[in-house]
Amino acid sequence: MMDNNILMKVESLSKIYEMGEVTVTAAKNINLDIYKGEFLVILGPSGSGKSTLLNNLGGMDLPTEGKVFMDGEDITNYNERKLTAYRREKIGFVFQFYNLMANLTARENVELATEICKDALNVDDILDSVDLGSRKDHFPAQMSGGEQQRVAIARAVAKNPALLLCDEPTGALDFETGIKILKLLKDINEKYNKTVVIITHNMPIGDIADRVIKMRSGEIIETKVNKNPISPERIEW
Amino acid sequence: MRKLDIRLLRLIKNSKGQFISITATIILALTIYVSFSMVADNLDNSISQYYNATNFGDVFVEVSRIPKAGIDKLHSIDGVELAQGRISEDVPLRVEDPNEKVNVRIVSIPKEEYVINSLFTIDGENLNNNPNSTVVLKQFFDAREMKLEDTITPYIGGSEYNLNVIGAVGSPEYIYLMENEQTLLPAPEKFGVIYVSEEFAQSTLGYQGSYNEVMVKIKDSHISKIDTIVDEIEDELDEYGVRRTIKRENQLSHSLMMQEVEQLDQMATSITLMFLIVAGIIINIMLSRIVKNDRMSIGVMKALGYSNFNILGHYTKHSILIGLVGSIVGIIFSIPLSGLFTELYIMYMNIPLFKMKVYYIYFVYGIILTSLFCIISGLMGAKSVIKILPADSMRPEVPKAGGRIWLEKVKFIWNKISFSWKMVIRNILRTKKRAFFLVLGIALTYAITMVPVFMTNIWDNLFALQYGEFQTMDYNIDFAKPMDNNVLVELSKSIDIEYIEPKVEIGLELRRGWRKKAVSVVGLERDTKLYNFKTPSGNRVEIPKNGILVSQMLADSLGVNIGDEILIKNYIPGKDDASIKVKGIIEQYLGSNAYVDIETMNSILGEKDIITGAILNSNDEVVTKLQDVKNIRQIQSVQDMKNSILEFMDMILASMGIMMLFGGILGFAIVYNVTIISISERKREFSSLRVLGFDKREIYKLVTRENGVMTILGLILGMPLGYGMCVGIATSVSTELFAIPVILNPSSYIITAIATVIFVLIAQLATIRKIHNLDFMEALKDRSS
Repeated sequence: MMDNNILMKVESLSKIYEMGEVTVTAAKNINLDIYKGEFLVILGPSGSGKSTLLNNLGGMDLPTEGKVFMDGEDITNYNERKLTAYRREKIGFVFQFYNLMANLTARENVELATEICKDALNVDDILDSVDLGSRKDHFPAQMSGGEQQRVAIARAVAKNPALLLCDEPTGALDFETGIKILKLLKDINEKYNKTVVIITHNMPIGDIADRVIKMRSGEIIETKVNKNPISPERIEW
Repeated sequence: MRKLDIRLLRLIKNSKGQFISITATIILALTIYVSFSMVADNLDNSISQYYNATNFGDVFVEVSRIPKAGIDKLHSIDGVELAQGRISEDVPLRVEDPNEKVNVRIVSIPKEEYVINSLFTIDGENLNNNPNSTVVLKQFFDAREMKLEDTITPYIGGSEYNLNVIGAVGSPEYIYLMENEQTLLPAPEKFGVIYVSEEFAQSTLGYQGSYNEVMVKIKDSHISKIDTIVDEIEDELDEYGVRRTIKRENQLSHSLMMQEVEQLDQMATSITLMFLIVAGIIINIMLSRIVKNDRMSIGVMKALGYSNFNILGHYTKHSILIGLVGSIVGIIFSIPLSGLFTELYIMYMNIPLFKMKVYYIYFVYGIILTSLFCIISGLMGAKSVIKILPADSMRPEVPKAGGRIWLEKVKFIWNKISFSWKMVIRNILRTKKRAFFLVLGIALTYAITMVPVFMTNIWDNLFALQYGEFQTMDYNIDFAKPMDNNVLVELSKSIDIEYIEPKVEIGLELRRGWRKKAVSVVGLERDTKLYNFKTPSGNRVEIPKNGILVSQMLADSLGVNIGDEILIKNYIPGKDDASIKVKGIIEQYLGSNAYVDIETMNSILGEKDIITGAILNSNDEVVTKLQDVKNIRQIQSVQDMKNSILEFMDMILASMGIMMLFGGILGFAIVYNVTIISISERKREFSSLRVLGFDKREIYKLVTRENGVMTILGLILGMPLGYGMCVGIATSVSTELFAIPVILNPSSYIITAIATVIFVLIAQLATIRKIHNLDFMEALKDRSS
């Protein structure tokens, strides 16, 4: 039986990549619960398996072994069509390099995501709330990195997903812009009650999370609950 | 509009050069397909409608002389609906300029109400019973700028007759007006047909109460048994001296028209397919490039929840759009083009019922065909979308292994090559597939361009071969009736002759088994100096003492080889058929004849020392001086024939220009797209070079050198390909009436090469902007797409 408060459950997840004669174990026997509404940060150096974990949570990749449940349903049994629907309805991705469509405006990039979702939020409201109300009709090339990342966040949030997965969301940004983005993610977590998972190698970011998971060499080495997470403005790196 | 569609439209806007060039290829394909198919159908339908309206006959038999009773007997043959007689004879027409030689065929019209080959009156009145009235074939009427109520003066049997022109008509027999099988091109001002009353023809041509031609109409229900019926007709008419039997399918105008329809149909499919295949390959290459560039975007789309089907559809829409725009514009263009074709046909041919009708079904076929090509090539180009894993696509692609190429192992060559040439060679050898397509594309451009260059020379070559090598006489004279050998002496008294030979030329039917063929058999002196007979492989052949030489085309249609016996059907009543051995097969481009020794000819005919004409060389005014000689039916001057070809040159040059344009568009589309794709693929490489200090011109030189190497390879491959294409066209155009010699002079190869290089250069110049606008700093750090 699952705890009512659990959004996702990962059971004995392993991922082995075979590249010719070399096999690489990217994730080893990972067990993890993600709770509804929590702000979770997964920390680890590159090659620690955090991206592999994120991709498996988001239905972008399937594990070699183990199971991943979303609302009690095992997504590792899903076929291509169901996985696509899962990504469409349940997951919002934010990437390190924003990955906006170059020839669509800010608003169109967000609409690209919402027009295939059933319960999408109002695009203008979301763009206003990420403070891009006046730059809606700009193309990515006309925006700064921080602005582009805000469009990317708006794109993920506007789908109204159950889970927001952010892969190094501040990795390509300067310190101040990075802080603003974290603040925005935190606001979204609180305002819309969205579960947010951030993966990063940037240790101080862990301080703003409700819970921090540390990974190394494909394994979880530590889980820490932050009783008093600090506000993003107060962190430094 | 869906955001993915907006993205697509903006993508197309940013690469409009590619879109336009590929679309142009498709426009061309569709314009040709729809207009050629429509004109072919229009032509075919109007011809059969015309045949019905004018009761075009099914069998025509030329006889020596037949009374009405002889014709009436044919009605007892099962399947014969109607048989009618007429008189037909070629005579000179008197015109203002005595140097101009004009012949007309006088044809009588049966008196009955229902007439086989009835006339279609275009201007003026129908022919009446007044023996001094005539109606004239419209092409001749127009070409000689006649007016109604004009008087024309044919010269019949030594007397001039004045005839009053009361109408201009069309006839199903002369939609395409050609004097005979030996004529190269129609010359409607030199040869025409005039129709007269039976009474007039019989009295002036000496056929009181009889005819020299029988027209037969066969019942529709029996048309499949036509060959048996023809045999019965020939048996029945044997006693009247059957000179030649022509079924409708072999009738000159009809067979030329059917050939025209067939050629249009053939071109509609072959040219269209070629252009669609090229467009398909370019689309395929372009889309697979775009998908490769869009790898990360595809990952994002998949992360956002777009299915493989959505994404594949997004890219395939690109090719569908090209197909749709191309086919719609192509269809729009095809309507005026088929109108233009129709005008041309109306100008050169006489089909009064010919109308330009639009067949919408070809619009549908065209769109389906194009969509099919575009969807398939689009799906093939974009299929790698499916293989892109969303998780993988977020990471930059592993660089392609840039291993050594084989040439690097040949140290003593490789070490002598400069650095930038090494890059050129490496790049070519590493993208072999694309390099191959580019070379093939340039070769195809070369080949297509070669066809019009070859075609402009066809007439010159044909003429030079037929009248420069095969026959070398200046004049060819036919007498009105067989004459005594002494007539040559008389001729040399009237004109200055350099050299003269007698000939006996008679239309005879040759048979071999069930196959038969009516041809002109020419009897010549064994040591003739005015004919040079050669085998198709180029060896000289002499006229044999006992035996016959046949042209290659005649040998093919009779199915005979050297050593086989041929039966010569004797049309003179009461004379036996003769059997003769084939002693040689010769090359003859124009017409299809058989040649024998003049004595053999006489013995076949059962005559002694008669001749029917003469061939001669002379610098004298032969045509003028022999104008009034009574027994001369016609004088053919080689110079006149040459002039009539020159008149056709304009039309030939125009169609050559259009063909060149086709080749140019194709070449442009291929070279432009491949270059654009190559540049976009190597943005990062070029940017690195820029950082290393290469300037834009040096990078452009790199691309130009690559294309230069490909162009040279393309030209080399294009030469045999072009030759092959010309041979293909020559074979498909060649008929039983004429064979087209495939002769390509070195100058043809050079002209074609220059044209191809110009097309490549234009495409190359069009890509210069892309290099110029390349932002090398952006390209190096670019991660968005």
